[in-house]
Amino acid sequence: MPIESLEELLSEEKEAREIRRRMADWRFIESQPPRIREALKYYIETGDIRRAAKLAGLALEDFRSLLRRARIPVVV
Amino acid sequence: MHRPFAVADTCFLIDWARYRRRDILFKLFRTVFVPEQVLDEIRSENTVAWIAGALARGWLSLYTPSSMEVEEAIRLVEWSRLHPQAAAIDMPEALCLVVGRRRGYIVLTENRGALLAPRLNKDYSGVEVWRALEVILEALRRGILEPNCERPDTVFREYSLDTLHLFPSKALEEAVKEVRRLCLSRA
Repeated sequence: MPIESLEELLSEEKEAREIRRRMADWRFIESQPPRIREALKYYIETGDIRRAAKLAGLALEDFRSLLRRARIPVVV
Repeated sequence: MHRPFAVADTCFLIDWARYRRRDILFKLFRTVFVPEQVLDEIRSENTVAWIAGALARGWLSLYTPSSMEVEEAIRLVEWSRLHPQAAAIDMPEALCLVVGRRRGYIVLTENRGALLAPRLNKDYSGVEVWRALEVILEALRRGILEPNCERPDTVFREYSLDTLHLFPSKALEEAVKEVRRLCLSRA
């Protein structure tokens, strides 16, 4: 893959991570039980919804609903 | 050329089902296929009700992958694990990409790994992968949605408001530019 494409991908990932961090309702996140809390933080950092849902012990769609409650956007 | 078929993954469907104009999907495609593995992941009442209604009308159709397609999807999942620059691809998305490659269907996804696969894996370079952004843009091009020419970003903001799904700034900027061009061409 050309370097500029790789840089573009990294830049998109960085932008998405910053948006997730900025928009997240941190008070809501910190008030959650440890497993849910860490899964939400993992999602904010990685954007990997499947592994985050597994960490939370939730089905994918239930985790997506939890993201909305935590005001964490999907950025794709 | 207009393609009549698409195949949708879970991430696309669970967000799209919340969009106020969700049924435009069925004006763009004759049938949207949903692999069994994707349907298994759908749980909420809203999404299930929408999918059930669309299945009943024949707008959505269940897709049962063949053993060869499943085998190819496993290889694609393995490939994604071997390439750190590629975001992870799991079986439901992998199956959609395989069906897209073999059948020429447009792949509908919000999964970053699936979105990047055609750029990173030459075997999938011919697969057309759309997010909600591309679906909305195509609906505007084909006159299924009317643009707000005074505020060309409105149509994308509506989707974001309904779903809490945002588009990367560069992609959104390009899409808004295209809406402006459409408005000018119709003026």
